[in-house]
Amino acid sequence: MAGVLKKTTGLTGLKVEPRPHKILTALYNRILLSLESAPKEAAYRQHTEALIKRNLEYVLTVKDIGKLEEKLGYQVEESIKLAENELMLARRMAQWKPWLPLETKPSADQWKWPL
Amino acid sequence: MLGRLARVALVARQAPLNRGAQAPALGRLLSTDAPSAPTIRRPDAPVRQQLTDVGKYAAACLPRFVQKVQLTAGDELELLIAPEGVIPVIAFLRDNHMTQFHSLADIAGVDVPARKYRFEIVYNLLSIRYNSRIRVRTYTDELTPIDSICEIFKGANWYEREIWDMFGVMFHDHPDLRRILTDYGFEGHPQRKDFPLSGYVEVRYDDALRRVVVEPLELAQEFRKFDLKTPWEVFPNFRSSEEVPIGNLDSPQGKIEEPKK
Repeated sequence: MAGVLKKTTGLTGLKVEPRPHKILTALYNRILLSLESAPKEAAYRQHTEALIKRNLEYVLTVKDIGKLEEKLGYQVEESIKLAENELMLARRMAQWKPWLPLETKPSADQWKWPL
Repeated sequence: MLGRLARVALVARQAPLNRGAQAPALGRLLSTDAPSAPTIRRPDAPVRQQLTDVGKYAAACLPRFVQKVQLTAGDELELLIAPEGVIPVIAFLRDNHMTQFHSLADIAGVDVPARKYRFEIVYNLLSIRYNSRIRVRTYTDELTPIDSICEIFKGANWYEREIWDMFGVMFHDHPDLRRILTDYGFEGHPQRKDFPLSGYVEVRYDDALRRVVVEPLELAQEFRKFDLKTPWEVFPNFRSSEEVPIGNLDSPQGKIEEPKK
């Protein structure tokens, strides 16, 4: 057993996760899968994919939880929350298709102030 | 007024010169080494850069909905979006790793009757992680409903009710769209520009009936039109907003600097 077990995240309502690697790997893989519904040149897909791939590599290579948290920049429990959010978003993005060109042009005086 | 200001400024500018000698009390009070400009908070360059990057990033990710990105008042980021993109844009800003605007500070409304779409809906979001704020603005008219963001932010419930009550803007899929600020049985939407300042009815206690009665308004004084405009130009340097060019994003990573643990 490497080091002392983490007792608390210090954040209200966020419980310590004993096996973060397994959960994070699964979540990141699912996000990557969901992102495939976006076209390759979509900015959302490129940026998110790059970030998630980087994080996934950390999760796969760094086994120590403390060091992993340092690498990710967040506590693992926070990372799990973030990944869950991102997964929901990626799935819904597939329906919204925000990478298409601008749909509605504003009328000429819409964003002008003072009129 | 202006002359006095100029004189004070002059004293302040001269103050460092006669500091060695016996400086007058006022001069000592006002003397600083900084140039004596008006005391306006200057935007911070790194903060501006970060906000510009966030704006560009959001616009690049959501080209279908974002119409314009701008910085107002020096360092306030605004995302001007088409009304059908409310849910995607707000959900993206909340759930994406790079933005994380987890807190909805407020929703506001604006009424500009001269425009084709007279109402503006303004969402103020806060990212606690990155210590930055963003304002999302969209538009609608009296008849077109806007998508409710209650499913994304639970706290939007009352804000949207308030907008409905004050402006009469409909929210689609809102769980409980009722009036919230006005009185029971109130008619009209008081924040609309065509709603009279005095309202339509007056309320008083009637001794004979022994209850509160509501009657049509009767004004003792004729209506007069006052000119309430200030004759001075107020902060002309901060009037205009600068547009952030959409669409050329150099590096995919590190749009917002990751916080150091």
